[in-house]
Amino acid sequence: MGLFDEQITAVRRFIDEAEDAGRLRRLDSPAAEPWPSGSVLVLEEDTALELGNPSVGSLSMLVWAAEGEARDGAVSLVGPDLAEASGAGLPFAQVVIAAGDFPNEYDSYRDLRDAVYDTRLKGLSVRAMPSKQVLWCRVSRQAADAGFSIGHLGAALLESLRDVPGVTAAEALFITSSQEDISRLSGAAAGARRLVDAMMKMYQENNFDCETCEYQDVCETVMDLKQIRKKLTDGKAVPG
Amino acid sequence: MILAVCGKGGVGKTTVSAIGAKALAASGVKALIVDADPAAGLAMALGIEPKRTLNDVRKAIIEEVKAGRRDERDLAVSVDYLVAEALTERDNLAFLSIGRPEDVGCYCKVNVILKDAIEMLGGMFGATLIDAEAGIEQVNRKVMGAVDYVLLVSDTSAKAVRVAETIRDVSGRMIPDAGAGLLVNRVREPAEADRVESNTSLEVIGRVPEDDTVREFDAGQKSFFDLPECPASIAVEGTLTAAGFLS
Ligand SMILES: Nc1ncnc2c1ncn2[C@@H]1O[C@H](COP(=O)(O)OP(=O)(O)O)[C@@H](O)[C@H]1O
Ligand SMILES: [Mg+2]
Repeated sequence: MGLFDEQITAVRRFIDEAEDAGRLRRLDSPAAEPWPSGSVLVLEEDTALELGNPSVGSLSMLVWAAEGEARDGAVSLVGPDLAEASGAGLPFAQVVIAAGDFPNEYDSYRDLRDAVYDTRLKGLSVRAMPSKQVLWCRVSRQAADAGFSIGHLGAALLESLRDVPGVTAAEALFITSSQEDISRLSGAAAGARRLVDAMMKMYQENNFDCETCEYQDVCETVMDLKQIRKKLTDGKAVPG
Repeated sequence: MILAVCGKGGVGKTTVSAIGAKALAASGVKALIVDADPAAGLAMALGIEPKRTLNDVRKAIIEEVKAGRRDERDLAVSVDYLVAEALTERDNLAFLSIGRPEDVGCYCKVNVILKDAIEMLGGMFGATLIDAEAGIEQVNRKVMGAVDYVLLVSDTSAKAVRVAETIRDVSGRMIPDAGAGLLVNRVREPAEADRVESNTSLEVIGRVPEDDTVREFDAGQKSFFDLPECPASIAVEGTLTAAGFLS
């Protein structure tokens, strides 16, 4: 049982259904050239396309799992790619699954998160609000003209995730089709966030007064959280 | 370069800032304009209606902290998101209003995160101009210790010049590497400005005449983006050039 089994199952179901409906595109083959890194400020007047404006739908989700749980290098897209966008904005979901061996969940989470936050790509500004699982990006005119695509973003994300210690495989799913499609994963994203919050609380506060903890429900039901808690309480019992 | 416009209330800081913003818009430089006046005077002078203020961002972050989300990286990332949402953009300018500070207890960590975010934001723009309303201490606490130039504004009254000198003393201690110069505003007679100049240790880098066009725009609540070239605008632009802020 992994920490995010339920969430990963939901993502797999979404991918399978989209594939059955012929709506899923695989952008796996890495872009011919990795996108250059560079400045991250994109003003409105320089913006060709806005992704994940809160008003049109936005979702960001990061989960990890044991080795073998991610299809390494897979970049899937449901909805138009950037060049196919008809207006100035698209709804946007970014779902990342990392797989590998993560002995310290807390450190791993922070490393993975930094890898996701730090893809500084030229002409792409990325802003995230982790507690609301939203991601809001701007693609500059220059980047759009030069052919920046979801494939470039996916490749850069996976590249940066593979540099994280312990990661053996990484996969990404993007949704640009509709708010409705995105909302099918919002429950999973909220669940993932809650698990991360519970885990962070354990590591940061070292307080195991479960009676008063707002994460008691997840903590009692998710096997991995129980194990983390046990590891931390056992550690505390060691003298010195 | 980050320039803060400071001085006594009513001497013309907002007017100078608004003219500066217009000049930056014309220059094409990506510039951040910060309205540190709780009454949002600069926003009004420019005809901008910010949807959110930096203080709203602060409140939102405090909510995050209260909700138990204390991870610093997550908070810092959230601040960037919220600040971006609080920017009002127009051409090459981005406008940020500080808003009315409310006493919501001490959240030093939040203030530090906020300051870092603003500094980072400022670093992404070619120029940052701050209408620093109440004076330099506010600029430091709420916006940044990274000000490169303090543009002191006074009218021709001895009181306003004295306030400018005090601000210079404080800022000299706080940000010793920053430049400073005095703009004497609302000059009717050259003799008035001569008198100010001979009675202060501050370096006078500009004289801006009393100007009917400015008064008219202010009274009619017209946007300073539409201000035509006039004696005051020419003098303000000359002063900002002398400060090294405009080229
Ligand atoms: N050079 C000028 N000529 C005429 N009126 C001016 C000039 N500079 C400022 N004013 C007027 O002085 C008043 C106060 O100016 P303001 O910029 O709001 O000051 P502050 O921001 O320092 O409080 C406003 O009514 C403004 O129109
Ligand atoms: Mg003012």
